[in-house]
Amino acid sequence: MAASRDHAVLDPRAALTLDDYVVSAAWAPDGSALAVVGGEGRVFRIAIEGLDRRGARLSAAAAGSHAIGGLAAVWSPAGDAFATSGQDNTVVIREALSGAARATFRPGMAWSEHLAYSPDGTQLAVASGKGLSLWSRDGTLLQRFAAQPGSVAALAWDRTGRELGAALNGGMLIASRAGVAKDADKGECFVTRQLKWPGQCLSVAWSPNGRVLASGVGDGSVHFWYLGTSRDSQMRGYPGRVNLTSWSGNSRYLATNAANDVVAWDFSGRGPEGSKPIVLRGHTEAIDCLAFQPGGSYLVSAGRDWRLSLWLPGKAAMALDAHLTDAEASCLCWSPDGNYVAVGERKGKVTVFALSRSG
Amino acid sequence: MPNTDRVPVTVLTGFLGSGKTTLLNRILTENHGKRIAVIENEFGEVGVDHELVIGAEEEIFESNNGCICCTVRGDLLRILGQLLKRRDRFDYIIIETTGMADPGPVAQTFFLDEDFKKQFLLDAIVTLVDARHIEQHLDQMDEPGQQVAFADVLLLNKTDLVTPAELERIERRVRAINGTARIFRTHNADVPIASVLDVGAFDLTRALAVDGDFLEPQYPFEWAGAYALPAGEVTLRTGAADAHADHHDHGHDHDHDHDHDHSHDHTAHDHDAHGHEHAGGLSVVLLPLADGSAASLDAAIEQAVRAFAEPAVAVECGGAVAVAPAGVHAALQIDHDGSAFAFRLPRAGHWAVFCEHAPVEFGLRLQGFEPSSQRAFASHHHDEEIASVGLADSRELDPARVNDWFSHLLQSRGADIFRMKGVLSLRGEPRRYVFHGVHMMFDGQLEQPWGARTRQNRLVFIGRNLDRAELEAGFESCVAR
Repeated sequence: MAASRDHAVLDPRAALTLDDYVVSAAWAPDGSALAVVGGEGRVFRIAIEGLDRRGARLSAAAAGSHAIGGLAAVWSPAGDAFATSGQDNTVVIREALSGAARATFRPGMAWSEHLAYSPDGTQLAVASGKGLSLWSRDGTLLQRFAAQPGSVAALAWDRTGRELGAALNGGMLIASRAGVAKDADKGECFVTRQLKWPGQCLSVAWSPNGRVLASGVGDGSVHFWYLGTSRDSQMRGYPGRVNLTSWSGNSRYLATNAANDVVAWDFSGRGPEGSKPIVLRGHTEAIDCLAFQPGGSYLVSAGRDWRLSLWLPGKAAMALDAHLTDAEASCLCWSPDGNYVAVGERKGKVTVFALSRSG
Repeated sequence: MPNTDRVPVTVLTGFLGSGKTTLLNRILTENHGKRIAVIENEFGEVGVDHELVIGAEEEIFESNNGCICCTVRGDLLRILGQLLKRRDRFDYIIIETTGMADPGPVAQTFFLDEDFKKQFLLDAIVTLVDARHIEQHLDQMDEPGQQVAFADVLLLNKTDLVTPAELERIERRVRAINGTARIFRTHNADVPIASVLDVGAFDLTRALAVDGDFLEPQYPFEWAGAYALPAGEVTLRTGAADAHADHHDHGHDHDHDHDHDHSHDHTAHDHDAHGHEHAGGLSVVLLPLADGSAASLDAAIEQAVRAFAEPAVAVECGGAVAVAPAGVHAALQIDHDGSAFAFRLPRAGHWAVFCEHAPVEFGLRLQGFEPSSQRAFASHHHDEEIASVGLADSRELDPARVNDWFSHLLQSRGADIFRMKGVLSLRGEPRRYVFHGVHMMFDGQLEQPWGARTRQNRLVFIGRNLDRAELEAGFESCVAR
């Protein structure tokens, strides 16, 4: 293969600076806007224009606030709404275009730190401390699961939307669709099962092909469950807790954070057991953000060294491109089409990069 | 690191009904100009009316160093981590724990992570005690004792619901568990805010207030009184038979200024024996005194210590003992229902009575006589599983040996040591070494020079089943040679 085919850069297209720490950001499914919550609780809707060319423009509009601080922002894949949560213990579902509140609710006593829309946008999963609940697009409670022994550390739907995974201290809780309940206006009901593992699971990563569920673990390992089998295994030897896990679009590579390095496991052939991982070196401080391109093979990482790196695991040992941010990156997300990356920083800067492939 | 950059955090513990929410509401409504965020682990009986309240579900994690006692609070780690995302920080954070919370994991959370240490300063653990129910709680459960033991500030609250005698007894008991906490007696958690916020109990750069009577040498007696007595037989009685007659006759002023750093003035008025087992009898020493003054009584302390080390004369209930001109050490076989012992004095004059335990515990008195002066010494109750041990010694220490001792101590006894703190005088070091610890988490550093101050090591351990002899031997091994 020609090296030039792999050459790619992150091309900064537009940026703006918000008056707040960027805690969480989410793309609208059509790539036309970003929803952002800040550390002091402000909610912004950032409109994006002309990304496909030079001279792209970001414009932020205030869209409400959460008292004390913001926690999470997610955009419904259906495109009609985005949801934010804050330290005031509320979750707010907001209209996609105006940001106006459609519904406000308090799912529990603890903060709702993790939000996840089902792929069809009909269910919003909310993890509030030890509580897990599902809400409709209008903010009606659909189902509340029994309280867990510990807090939910991460939440993610599988690609089909049939299953929801919640990372716990002690394994993974899986909620699966179990048909339409008799109480039909509540929609489908979910049943839960546990994938037990005596460790503090910190992330949920479903492989896009549906075969593997991976989780970073607090004891410095990554755990895998081979779905549809009773097999599970783990990779140890990390220098510290692993809380970032991301799959490449073809389900071949699982990227994880190992202090200052990115470690990727190759699931081709016989899988990663017994193999040496791909270690991507370049960051000089801890990595806080890590995400594979949706449906693709490019990987972006950002760390406390104020560096943003673009990788192509398995093809290039070195970063393809790197940029210095103005402060530590605090969040990073790819546009759903995989063509753009938005990076939020602790000091409020939001930059949108285009993935630009040459050759 | 400059302290001003760190957000102080006060931990508020206490059983349900002890008055945490009352205190919290007072702190929040008082005009102190601070912007305070409150982290609550349960909904109080009375809601806290404050916009900056963060609800949290208590969640305990073992930290990854494999030690079972190194537990931290996952919920607090996450919340404090989020609060770091603000540019305009809060001025103060108060964590209100659940009634049943073990303060250990809360405190250890602040030792765990270097980032946290840079951003937050654990200010103090404030424990509220419901005076009416604390004794029952201490008898029945572990948590109240832990909450008392961890405290830097103790509020004996709802004192209006107990009698003065009960309050004395409660304070003695609480003091036996925690010898260093500042104790305030309150009705409605009404203490000056400055007594509970910005206390600086974990701030190594502030002078460590390692005070309290338990830091005195541990005497073999808890009480002494001076009496003017005639020659011949005097009767020493115990038991509650006619105890109520002289209940209020001590003529002894209880000047509680609600700040009990020093409890020397506590002559408890309770009449309930603590149920000590005295297989060898209750040790009492009589010594001749020059006069009936307090100074004269103090001057006899050393002689009394020697006398307590001598074999005692066993005296049966109802028996008599001849007192030598130089005094006597008697082991009284007391009957808890009441007993009498005759002491035959060789001459009239002033005599000191040193008693192994506080007389109030046995209703002990010299029939027909009142002390002209008296003094209480540090309590050495052994009936509390959780207690404080203080060491004071002016010999210089060898830093390497201290390091060995602490390493060994924390590894072997970390689970039992709730709190430790102190100031050390290290050989060849002009600065004071100050330290504190919570279970196995330890922080220590060199601070200001001793300067004109007397170099003296002062250490305090509060924990469960602590062995004073073991701690003293450990300390001894650190002395520079």
